Amino acid sequence: MDCCGGTTEHDEDCGEVQVKDSIDAKTVDAAKALESENYSAGFSTTIETDFAPKGLSEETIRYISAAKNEPEWLLEWRLKAYERWLTMEEPTWAMVRYPKIDYQAYYYYAAPKAGAKYASIDDVPKEILETYEKLGIPLREAEVLLGVEGAVETAAEAREKPRVAVDAVFDSVSVATTFRAELKKAGVIFMSISEAVHEYPDLVKKYLGSVVPQSDNFFATLNSAVFSDGTFVYIPKGVRCPMELSTYFRMNAENTGQFERTLIIADEAAHVSYLEGCTAPVRDENQLHAAVVELVALDDAEIKYSTVQNWWPGDEDGNGGIFNFVTKRGDCRGDRSKISWTQVETGSAVTWKYPSCILRGDDSVGEFYSIAVTNGRQQADTGTKMIHLGKRTKSRIISKGISAGRSNNTYRGLVSVNRKADKARNFTQCDSLLIGQNCGAHTIPYVENRRADAQLEHEATTTKLSDDQLFYARQRGIPEEDAVALLVNGFVRDVLQHLPMEFAVEAQSLLKVSLEGSVG
Amino acid sequence: MTTALRDFIRNPTAAELELVARYGMQPEDARRERAFLAFAETGLPHRRMEAWKWSDFRASLKSLDRPKQAAIPDPLPHDGALVFRFTPSGFAYPKTLPSGISMLAKREVQAFSSAEDLPLGALTAALAGSDSKPATLLFEISGRDLPRLHFVFEGAGEASFSRVVFLLRPNAELVVTESHLGGVGMASALSEFTLEAGAKLTRTIYQRSGPEDAIGIASTLTLDAGAAVTQTTLAFGAKVSRLETRVVHRQPGAHLTLNAAYLAGKGFHADITSHVRHGAPECVTRQLTKGAVLDGGTGVFQGKFLVPRITGQHTDADMQHQVLLLEDGAQVFAKPELEIYADDVQCAHGNTSGALDDAQLFYLRQRGIPERQARGMLTEAFIAEALETADETVRDVMLAEAQDWLAS
Repeated sequence: MDCCGGTTEHDEDCGEVQVKDSIDAKTVDAAKALESENYSAGFSTTIETDFAPKGLSEETIRYISAAKNEPEWLLEWRLKAYERWLTMEEPTWAMVRYPKIDYQAYYYYAAPKAGAKYASIDDVPKEILETYEKLGIPLREAEVLLGVEGAVETAAEAREKPRVAVDAVFDSVSVATTFRAELKKAGVIFMSISEAVHEYPDLVKKYLGSVVPQSDNFFATLNSAVFSDGTFVYIPKGVRCPMELSTYFRMNAENTGQFERTLIIADEAAHVSYLEGCTAPVRDENQLHAAVVELVALDDAEIKYSTVQNWWPGDEDGNGGIFNFVTKRGDCRGDRSKISWTQVETGSAVTWKYPSCILRGDDSVGEFYSIAVTNGRQQADTGTKMIHLGKRTKSRIISKGISAGRSNNTYRGLVSVNRKADKARNFTQCDSLLIGQNCGAHTIPYVENRRADAQLEHEATTTKLSDDQLFYARQRGIPEEDAVALLVNGFVRDVLQHLPMEFAVEAQSLLKVSLEGSVG
Repeated sequence: MTTALRDFIRNPTAAELELVARYGMQPEDARRERAFLAFAETGLPHRRMEAWKWSDFRASLKSLDRPKQAAIPDPLPHDGALVFRFTPSGFAYPKTLPSGISMLAKREVQAFSSAEDLPLGALTAALAGSDSKPATLLFEISGRDLPRLHFVFEGAGEASFSRVVFLLRPNAELVVTESHLGGVGMASALSEFTLEAGAKLTRTIYQRSGPEDAIGIASTLTLDAGAAVTQTTLAFGAKVSRLETRVVHRQPGAHLTLNAAYLAGKGFHADITSHVRHGAPECVTRQLTKGAVLDGGTGVFQGKFLVPRITGQHTDADMQHQVLLLEDGAQVFAKPELEIYADDVQCAHGNTSGALDDAQLFYLRQRGIPERQARGMLTEAFIAEALETADETVRDVMLAEAQDWLAS
């Protein structure tokens, strides 16, 4: 304990990284608060669980399909994906290194023994309710409160009382979905995808795999073969969803992979804001999470998809943690549609994730706002793809990466303008910050332009602090140094202001983050 | 040699078989073999290789043929310069060289340490040399105020491979100009520069060829303490072309300026790729690449700064790529990349692509300048910025060449 050679007062300073002066102290603290030793969601729940046979085979897939009582076409669909997956190779181009995954060492399906879906919230096992409560998602209270206040009659009334409907996914099954009846009044379908397969087979059949095809990439194909549960949302024409929808994913069982599949469809002129949260217990083994999210926005529709990803990142020596290999893609299929991704990434041992927008409809808009914070030995390779196909399509990418400890944080993004995308526009801004000397920050933008009238800009803003803004602040009597700090600190807020209110708590600690001293 | 020649490359194309045959005719040499094996690992670079996704030599170069169009006449002045001329089979050089410049034409291949990173460089190292052409041409530079060295790469033939190695002794100063003029089915040149402490190099590259040529220009630059390099390129591309520069800042305080302008017309492909490793503290890199592309033309820019842990501290590096797509049907691919492991550094990168600024155009037209002329003026000014660092003996010619292209 006397590595400083001094008194005990110095002990807490031992092992502290040297951080260069220009980096804001609060930023360092905020990053530290996200270290794995402070991981508050790391408890596990003891509950009897049913597993599929260990490993991946046709049998496992048949087991999953049977457990969910799926129609024949879906089983066929799964088996086709599995066949394809066997011929595919795991991608190695991302800037992440991890031990070879033994796909036969995982359970591909784990469900609480008491059954998958419960008729009412009262039937949900106590352990599970407690788990969600501990994570700050009181499923029961939400329903009870609704009862006390009396049901809200109209969608308009519902909008005035902001609440969140939650689909809670525990390992491989959805255990509860709140406010369903409430949403139904507005015509909104919000349920687990397993239920939707039975209740709305036509919709599922029409849209499943239409944005992320079965054979899209190695992990998406794996997901297509074994996906367990996830959320299905359909917003009918002209409806503005009366409340925030959310799914809370919890991985609990050991040696289990979670493979959820989310499908959100916003019909013409519909509007929805959807939130996603993820946590997992502290375990020594690596766990696999390979999800697929598909968004479809028709004419004039708008989807806002927010994620706070806080999977167990592994301890500071790199033991355990979630491998987060996720395919998220939105299809702006209709004219004037808009899809906006906002993500706060603080968890996972390895992240491989590129939420993308296919801007197919004329005048459609894609947005991507991201903060990725890595600590310990975390590795994140994340970014977005904006594929401009329609006329006058616009996209904006704001990405902030903060690396600390021995972590590596990579932004990888593609902006592609098709030959027919008249007057496409993109603005990309990505900044990265290193806290300490043992981490890495990388930026790999790909820009493909096939239009003379497209306007594409990629900037590292640190070099381009607006003189006008600076002048304005100084002219108001703010000293230059403070003015610079003020403006630079505004960076991260760009992203946070796009997070829904419900994530205010998570966002609170990140608000202290500034990108002062960023390297490019 | 235990491997049968045809087994060197998997599923070879006609062009690759021809390259293997050419290798088979070279004298046996362990270093040559190592270089060729490094190339044969992948064969001609193709789109499935991450670093070559936008410059597919294998697909563009099915076989090695002599192009219809002869080499372009060299626009760069030869006055006052020592001229070295490489053709597919020959090599011409001045009979006498001033003190401070010594030259050695070697029949043996010198080891090429970047073979894995530069497949076309490895191919060049393996195939350079013939009865009348050195396998490695070595220069040792130890003075200042030396005449300019001008290298011409041209001629008629199916393929030409040329390799030049420079060593600049402490505080030496050298001006090198190069004209890569085509006329060859596949012309590939490899240049390696090592600058010892305080040495200074000004290198200016002009590349132009016909629409059937494949051009590879691979270079490595290694900078010791306080060394300075200014490299300026003007490239018009070819059927497929790649100008790739790999730089290592090996000791503190080195300074690099890496500028390029590319102009790609219909059927032309111009690729400017660079990789700069800040392997020592307090080194500076300034990189500006400008491009203008017409209908049917393709521009590629790939830049990378690698800043290693600890040794790269206090790096000051800036990378800018700006390109104008002058007509519909033009395409541009860019990847300005940063890989940073040191926390106290300044690395910026910017990438813009689009059409001319309407406001600027309006301003000029409103002053009575016809639209066509206004466009020409603005594009010219845009491109000229990247050529300002060219050596003064050739700068005006380079600007005039760019102007002529834009005017036509």
